[in-house]
Amino acid sequence: MEHYSLKINGHVYETGAEPFESLLDVLREKLRLTGSKKGCDEGECGSCTVLLDGKPVLSCILMVSDVRDREVLTVEGLPQGGEPHPIQVEMTERGGIQCGYCTPGIIMSAYALLQENPRPSEDEIRFAIAGNICRCTGYSKIVEALQAAAGTPIR
Amino acid sequence: MAQPENATSAAQSGPYDWIGSSVPKVDALDKALGITQYVGDMQMPGMLHARIRWSGVPHAIIRGIDTSEAVKVPGVRAVLTAGDIPGINRYGLAVQDQRVLADDKVRTAADPVALVAADTEQAAEEAITKIKLDLEPLRPILSIEDALDPTAPSIHESGNLFTRTTVRKGDLDQGVKESDVIVEETYRTHLMDHMAMETESSLAYMDPTGVLTIITSTQYPYRDRRQIAPALNLSMNKVRVVQAPIGGGFGRKDDITSEIHAGLLALKTQRPVRLVYTRRDSLIANTKRHPMLMKFRTGARSDGRLTFVDADIYGDTGAYLSLGAFVIKKAGIHACGPYDVPNIRVDTHTLYTNNLSSGAMRGFGVLQAAVAHESQMDQLAHRLGISPIDIRLINTLKPGLATGTGQVMDEGCGIEATVLRIKEYMESHDLRFTRS
Repeated sequence: MEHYSLKINGHVYETGAEPFESLLDVLREKLRLTGSKKGCDEGECGSCTVLLDGKPVLSCILMVSDVRDREVLTVEGLPQGGEPHPIQVEMTERGGIQCGYCTPGIIMSAYALLQENPRPSEDEIRFAIAGNICRCTGYSKIVEALQAAAGTPIR
Repeated sequence: MAQPENATSAAQSGPYDWIGSSVPKVDALDKALGITQYVGDMQMPGMLHARIRWSGVPHAIIRGIDTSEAVKVPGVRAVLTAGDIPGINRYGLAVQDQRVLADDKVRTAADPVALVAADTEQAAEEAITKIKLDLEPLRPILSIEDALDPTAPSIHESGNLFTRTTVRKGDLDQGVKESDVIVEETYRTHLMDHMAMETESSLAYMDPTGVLTIITSTQYPYRDRRQIAPALNLSMNKVRVVQAPIGGGFGRKDDITSEIHAGLLALKTQRPVRLVYTRRDSLIANTKRHPMLMKFRTGARSDGRLTFVDADIYGDTGAYLSLGAFVIKKAGIHACGPYDVPNIRVDTHTLYTNNLSSGAMRGFGVLQAAVAHESQMDQLAHRLGISPIDIRLINTLKPGLATGTGQVMDEGCGIEATVLRIKEYMESHDLRFTRS
């Protein structure tokens, strides 16, 4: 067991962990940041997506020892001043959420996209969330919600 | 009449005004914020982690299960086999043909044979790999044809044909005589996993009043309780099943999944036990969509009017029935699709095999039947030189006409309008059916 000091959502968390433990397991089981979900635990489904230094990554296939001195952003870190992020609001109001299990991962992929490209096209949105599997919605409502969050026209 | 708490302002002007408007799901914002607690997100003080050892072979007699090395793994608190079950080692949604843990035989590679609870998931995982199974392989029944073979060994006590259902209408021979063209084909559909994003999961603990409480990702807590209590030899009021937020079900969380196993481990260890299936566990175990073998003969007159459907539908329900007989019966009920067919003979056959078991999955048998009846329509259209759209329009059910099982359509029957919309769309976009 080693000691880790992790920068997550602007705070510093101190925790013990084995170096080979996944960032996802440390977030969920040790730090109790359970917004990031475990759907496959092998980098296929996107439910565990978080941002590492601003880039979307799959936290289930990232070892905790690899994130020392780097900035991690999870879905819990998106609200500002107690207000949900516009992506979170639009996903809620436009039917982008059914069972909700893929939702945090989708939101983090979308957040990373809008940081890089504030006015993405529909194709760019679909490409950005291509690594996030949703079994409920059929994606259309998600894409509409993300277009609304970006302020771009909805089909 | 009940209204959602956050119904939109339209709801305030009249009790029904919100019908037809989009109302945010009451729990959606919590999900967007990541604060919803699914079972796998929960922890309790002293909580143990559980893992299941699956049989890995489809059909075998169990000679022995050696857990002596597994119990030595540091952190392991319990290793259980069928002999540890305090109640009746049987459960099932429709018939009780499933074992909580395999006892006499292994009937599918997804049979659970042993359970482990340990301080960590890693210890539990290590322990299940150290359980040694002594299995005497039996001839496996791996296809519908195998199951129909009269010399095949019986998977359960009473043969591999669980049940047969029939649909009859009109006079089949007359329908055949009136036909100008007859299409005869065999169709197969494959096994399919629901692949809900959240895997099956339960958190079980004894509450301070001695009630076994199981928080679980389920579609049906009361039916779960009815199956859990007898297996654990508890009276019904000593089992409480709490339905957690569910990360997708699509039918498969209708069945018992992790509930009895987590409950049994909590009962034995007197500690909270969390059992969260890995994706691999989820793919191995629990119900799938039924593979079907469908032999169809369909006739039509030269004007495109259907004359008869003559079909046998064989469904592979795997080692356990779940809701198989109902799914496969429904495939038979829907075998003629949304069309007016005057003469019908449809038989369905629900068969046990040693494959993974199938059960409820969205569509519930109707999709498999659609593969067959719609392919038949396309073939008839091709043979008659009629467009695939037109042959459907000629035959769609309309108000006043009856389905094969006698349900008379009323004004709610929308298939003709639907097909007309498709036709208009295709024509206005210059889309055509092409067939080489």
